[in-house]
Amino acid sequence: MTYDMSQGMPAYSARQATSQLSAALPELDIDDIPQSYGLPVITFDHVTKIYPAQPNKPALDDISLEIFAGEFVFLIGHSGSGKSTFIRMLIREIKPTSGTIKVADEDLTTMRNWRVPYLRRNIGCVFQDFKLLPNKTVFENVAFALEVIGKSRHVIKTQVPEVLRLVGLQDKLNKRPDQLSGGEQQRVSIARAIVNRPPLLICDEPTGNLDPQTSRGIMDLLERINRTGTTVLVATHDREMVDNMRRRVIALDRGVLTQDRERGVYRVNG
Amino acid sequence: MASFFYFLRESFTGFSRNLSTALGSIITIFLSLLIIGIFMIGGYVVDNVASSLESEVSITAFVSDDASEADIDTVESYIRGLEGVQSVSFTTKDQALENFRQTSNSDIIDTLDGQNPLPASIDVELSDPQMVEQVASQIESNTTFQQICDEPDNPAESLKYGQQTVERLFTLTNYVRYISMALVALLIFIALVFINNTIRLAILARRKEIAIMRLVGASNGFIRGPFLMEGALHAVIGAALAVGVLELLRYLVLPKLQTALMFLNFDIGPTAFLFIYVMLAVSGLIIGLIGSAFAMRRYLKV
Repeated sequence: MTYDMSQGMPAYSARQATSQLSAALPELDIDDIPQSYGLPVITFDHVTKIYPAQPNKPALDDISLEIFAGEFVFLIGHSGSGKSTFIRMLIREIKPTSGTIKVADEDLTTMRNWRVPYLRRNIGCVFQDFKLLPNKTVFENVAFALEVIGKSRHVIKTQVPEVLRLVGLQDKLNKRPDQLSGGEQQRVSIARAIVNRPPLLICDEPTGNLDPQTSRGIMDLLERINRTGTTVLVATHDREMVDNMRRRVIALDRGVLTQDRERGVYRVNG
Repeated sequence: MASFFYFLRESFTGFSRNLSTALGSIITIFLSLLIIGIFMIGGYVVDNVASSLESEVSITAFVSDDASEADIDTVESYIRGLEGVQSVSFTTKDQALENFRQTSNSDIIDTLDGQNPLPASIDVELSDPQMVEQVASQIESNTTFQQICDEPDNPAESLKYGQQTVERLFTLTNYVRYISMALVALLIFIALVFINNTIRLAILARRKEIAIMRLVGASNGFIRGPFLMEGALHAVIGAALAVGVLELLRYLVLPKLQTALMFLNFDIGPTAFLFIYVMLAVSGLIIGLIGSAFAMRRYLKV
């Protein structure tokens, strides 16, 4: 069965959902997963971004691509290749200089500022530095994401333990971030990103601070989330990871799209 | 409603987190509002004084010694018919001397050797002190009065009224008003700067939380709420302190001032006090909200 994160499953208890999920996962083969259905989740149409500080060197230069619902996509490239610019434009932190970006059929370039928070509720974000609040417990950190978008206490009480079980932290609800390992902290931040069940999960160097063993675990988790139907975009320069997983790879080099292929490997220069 | 309590809780957290700066802005607001309140009470006292002085404004028309009684009666009834006149009475030479004797040093009277240089006069009480000049000029242009007045060459010289006193008082109260307005503006500005600074620190202290809130899609209003609430909270506490101290002043200090300064009228009604307190609370709230709104505009880009 497919656990659809975007729809939510009020009818199932948390335990039921998770057990069914973990029971279902090992039997799936990558090839069985629908790679795309219907409308693209993300569309870049001739997107160029030029920062005022560097008018002659575009951070992104005429990028056009589509990412479909349910895909798992790696975004690779060296530092300064434009990966972060790409992600910051997706969450409408910055606007492109020219071209249009659409997320779920909504044009980000013409979107009114007050709509941006509602866009971000549909995009989960994970970062290299976790961005956890040190004075809150694991539970509170995840609950915070629901609290500030006005979810009721009841929703928080059911949804937070459920998502923490999903990332394997059900025993550490009351620990503070500094009592957790790096991998565990990243799991908390992933839990926070998906607790609102966004259809799109964006990870900016999620394993950048972690050792290879832990990184593997995080990637497994992201893959499991992807199998529930969530579109996952991972920016990374972890060569081994990309080569092992053989998923769609989009490569950027100094702002130019150099590679975009299914089941790609880490090769920046096409 | 749920987020209102969330804002309230968060603003209390911010309060305890930056206790010293929060106290700083509360004390600034408190002192500003207190001084504004004292100025307002002072304004009422000045108004009391002005209106009591105004009610004492009268015109004295000096009459020459050899004016006939018929002419005096004619002028008196003419004045009685003028607009703004309340009552007219006549002071004889003897009465004038008697009045003078009561208010002045008796040595001067002794040097007069029984002579009486003071003229008789028609005293005019006014119902509207603002009309003093108009009434005076009407008396001056009356032909009968011009004949019987003390100085027929220049009838205006025979009219004495409190015009200069009233005008001086009005300029004085205006000056006091301008100066207190400038001071109040300055105090409000200082309070704004303080609130601005406090909220800025609160924003800086919570910038990590704000970044995450923006990331997970908290609405701008939700992010701003706690800071607006914090500014408003400081203002309300400051205003409450100011009102409390003014109440103390009203019951402990004002009666003492009244006994010490008999000539001033400290009689201010309870509605006036209520008005002052409401004004202070409202202006405090406005200062708090504007101060934090400014801080958010500059430091909280949401």
